[in-house]
Amino acid sequence: METTKDNIQPPRWSLRLLRFFLKKDYLEEIEGDMEEVFEDNIAQHSLRKARRIYNREVIKLIRPNLVRGITGYHKLNYIGMLQHYLLITLRGFKRHKTTFFINLIGLSTGLAASLLIFLWVNDEKSVDTFHEKNDQLYWVFANFQLPNSTLTWDYTSGLMAESLKEEFPEVEDAVRIGNSHFFKPEGVISFKETNFEIDGLFASQNFFEILTYPVVIGDKSEILKGKESIAISEEMAISVFGSIENALGKLIDWENQFFNKTFVVKGVFQAPPSNASNQFDVVVNYDQLVESDKWAAAWNGGYAQTFLLLKEGTNIDQFNAKIENFMDNKVNNDRFSLFVQPYAKNYLFGKYDNGIQVGGRIENVRLFTIVALFILLIACINFMNLSTAQASKKMKEVGVKKAIGANRKALIFQFLSESILLSLFALTLAIVLVNLFLPQFNEITSKQLEINIFQFIKPIIGVALITGVLAGSYPAFYLSGFNPVAVLKGKVSNLKGEEWIRKGLVVVQFVLSIVFIIGVITINRQIEFTQSKDLGYDRENIVTFTRKGQFDRDPQIILSELNKIPGVISAGNMAGEFLWGDDNGSGFSWDPSTDEDNKYLFKSPKIGYNVIETLGLEIIEGRSFSKALNDDNSKVIINESAVKLMGLKNPIGKVLDYGKEETREIIGVVKDFQYGSMHQKIEPLIFRFRNSGANYVVKLQAGTETISLQKLEDIYQEFHPKYNFTPSYLQDDYLALYSTESKVASISNYMAGIAIIISCLGLFGLAAFTAERRTKEIGIRKILGASQVVIVRLLTGNFTKTVLISIVIALPLGYFIVDNWLHNFAYSVGLKWWFFAFAGIAALLIAWLTVGFQTFKAAMINPAQCLRNE
Amino acid sequence: MKKTKLGEFEELVLMTVVVLQADAYGVEIKRELEDRLNETLSVGSIQSALKRMEEKGFLTSEFGEASQKRGGKRKRIYQATPHARKVLQEMKDVRSQLWAAMPGIATN
Repeated sequence: METTKDNIQPPRWSLRLLRFFLKKDYLEEIEGDMEEVFEDNIAQHSLRKARRIYNREVIKLIRPNLVRGITGYHKLNYIGMLQHYLLITLRGFKRHKTTFFINLIGLSTGLAASLLIFLWVNDEKSVDTFHEKNDQLYWVFANFQLPNSTLTWDYTSGLMAESLKEEFPEVEDAVRIGNSHFFKPEGVISFKETNFEIDGLFASQNFFEILTYPVVIGDKSEILKGKESIAISEEMAISVFGSIENALGKLIDWENQFFNKTFVVKGVFQAPPSNASNQFDVVVNYDQLVESDKWAAAWNGGYAQTFLLLKEGTNIDQFNAKIENFMDNKVNNDRFSLFVQPYAKNYLFGKYDNGIQVGGRIENVRLFTIVALFILLIACINFMNLSTAQASKKMKEVGVKKAIGANRKALIFQFLSESILLSLFALTLAIVLVNLFLPQFNEITSKQLEINIFQFIKPIIGVALITGVLAGSYPAFYLSGFNPVAVLKGKVSNLKGEEWIRKGLVVVQFVLSIVFIIGVITINRQIEFTQSKDLGYDRENIVTFTRKGQFDRDPQIILSELNKIPGVISAGNMAGEFLWGDDNGSGFSWDPSTDEDNKYLFKSPKIGYNVIETLGLEIIEGRSFSKALNDDNSKVIINESAVKLMGLKNPIGKVLDYGKEETREIIGVVKDFQYGSMHQKIEPLIFRFRNSGANYVVKLQAGTETISLQKLEDIYQEFHPKYNFTPSYLQDDYLALYSTESKVASISNYMAGIAIIISCLGLFGLAAFTAERRTKEIGIRKILGASQVVIVRLLTGNFTKTVLISIVIALPLGYFIVDNWLHNFAYSVGLKWWFFAFAGIAALLIAWLTVGFQTFKAAMINPAQCLRNE
Repeated sequence: MKKTKLGEFEELVLMTVVVLQADAYGVEIKRELEDRLNETLSVGSIQSALKRMEEKGFLTSEFGEASQKRGGKRKRIYQATPHARKVLQEMKDVRSQLWAAMPGIATN
């Protein structure tokens, strides 16, 4: 540029920008205009201001009709080109229908599967994150030191919240709720004549201010004030009182395992959404729990769960270090160490091993995310393989286009837009599929997922675009790289390398499919194993039910009534759920020479008379609890592992010290059995005696179930008129222990199926293509005397090799993965060689079947037919 | 008039072009309009209006003489087409008819 006098120039950067973006045709005029304005401004203002104005003016010049196009200086007919690409693409789809449908079906099933998994993952990740101050919300955990291990509890003392708030400035606010494992009030709420069974929650007064479940009516800081107040959910209010407004100020009676009392409704809140881990219909003040059990407000006891609202910017590591030993002087020992972690994190990261965070549900989230990605990858590989395989058909097109001046970029753009268009078609189909299968998927995952296209529009379109680009990139670069002269002459170079890549991609597909098959076999075998393994007790025909609410009569009265039913073989009662295996107790001392032994935490269910007999546990020494001998809680029965642990030669009659004054006499030894799910090892166990347990176990005579259950219900109603009788079979409850695994298994089954189907589709397309390309070769071979067998072998040989390579790679990989998974179980089915053999042979057979059809068609061909056409 | 619409700002620019006659180039149009409207306009707004109207067939343009003042860059002189004059006339007629039809406002 020529300089103006005095070297006063407009800002250089702005000028450059101006020259960069303006249309070439307009540049001289507008640049001149700008300069003239600039000179005017210098005359009027300071240089700086003039430059500033210039900069601003340049920015204001960025307007669509002044800015030049993205490429080149020539005004190209972009719309026309796009129309052309679209036309070519659609014609291509029409001409190669098989390829098109294989790609479409593959991509859409792949996308649908990934969308479903995306919805599920999204839902899992959203659990508990909806509280307003979620970023500041933390949960206090305690590690409890045992002689040889550490337990991690998500519950702490009822005093924790208040005293942490007092002593640590980082704590803005703190809330305690009744431990949701053991101190969740249930029972029945009555208003006038109607009864409702509900799930309740004890919580401190500031509960709704910290965990922000929306309060519909009432002041959120007041509705839990005092022990007489109660807050109920919207649904409850409507079903009990007809409307939300009616509920306020009404008196309702609530009878549960802790109390029987009248409350005033002070507020109505919106029940926790389905992605809340803690579900409840009513909330009362925690003080109510303290009133019925003074240990709820003592340092020794895990009655509460404590949530903290930490000040913004708190360093969590430092805070954890500060509170770690907080419990030491409260309980006079150093066995507790506290730590906090984000409130919402516990849902996904809820598993601890010896005090160390080791995952939890996040494992499944990760597993399925990976599975979804792999399925998409398999579908993309189909597209890549089929497009490059058919390159010969596109060669002429590419050659001609290049000859008349298309550059490589334009061609890449064309092929990418082709694959993106296909993936958008596939996306549409996938959304239809997702809508179709969402109900079933919800049933499998027991969630209430909904697909709201508009909410997920960005990620969904994003996934479709990424899929399109991923699938299209290799073909686009490959096809656009042809040398036009060679192509138009009919020379095709580099076919060998291309075939290798294609084979490699098929190997990837089959490796993934085989790993899926191995995984599915193992998961299903493991589940079968857990369901059929002899646990050491009976599960058949055993019914359990729970007595709820207050009950001050001797359970023996109910038991004797139950025993009168002709179909009842035996009945007993116990405290706690037998299957959960979470009843623990320490304080038993068998060795007078040491103090350490009473710290050992035994599994210690509390059972009444007749439970051992009802469950069919085998007594190998001594006897069971006996009513005739008036056994009470001074007697215990232990299992073989406990005998071994204590090193007792003659366990019967051995007296254990228990606490300061008390003793426990061993009266029997039971054979080891599986207490709890098979995730846990069989551990030393002590049966304690408890006459008043609320869980009843009843063994029924096979064949009399229906009548006997009816009679059980009659007796139950007689003693508990307000409650519904909800019995369940021990067998079903046992299966429910593995519900996570069952869900994983059924999702995996479907996903593996989808993966295999998509892989086979690809293989099918490739086989069809190969057979077609080699028609002439086959014709000549047949004329020279090749039999059909030879032809079949010729065509399948290649694919067989590819699948064999996949098997070789997949087996060790699969072994590694499933072996890892089985470590989750204390007792696992054990890997058998046939899992792997089956997976390999299945893959090979499926591949042969897929290829076979095409191959036989090719082998049956009449050579005269195919050689005549030229 | 239906097919190619003339925006309000475009109309102003167009009329200025007619007024300025042989002087009608970017900066002069900007100055004239700034004076009349009593507000600051950006080069971008004037230029984009000019280009738009040129595309729609209201304006034609050609390069003028090169001068020292603009760093040696030529001006582009704009001229209204007969079609543009017709459209301007039509718009004026429509306006005056509407003014005449408005009740309660004296058109003196």
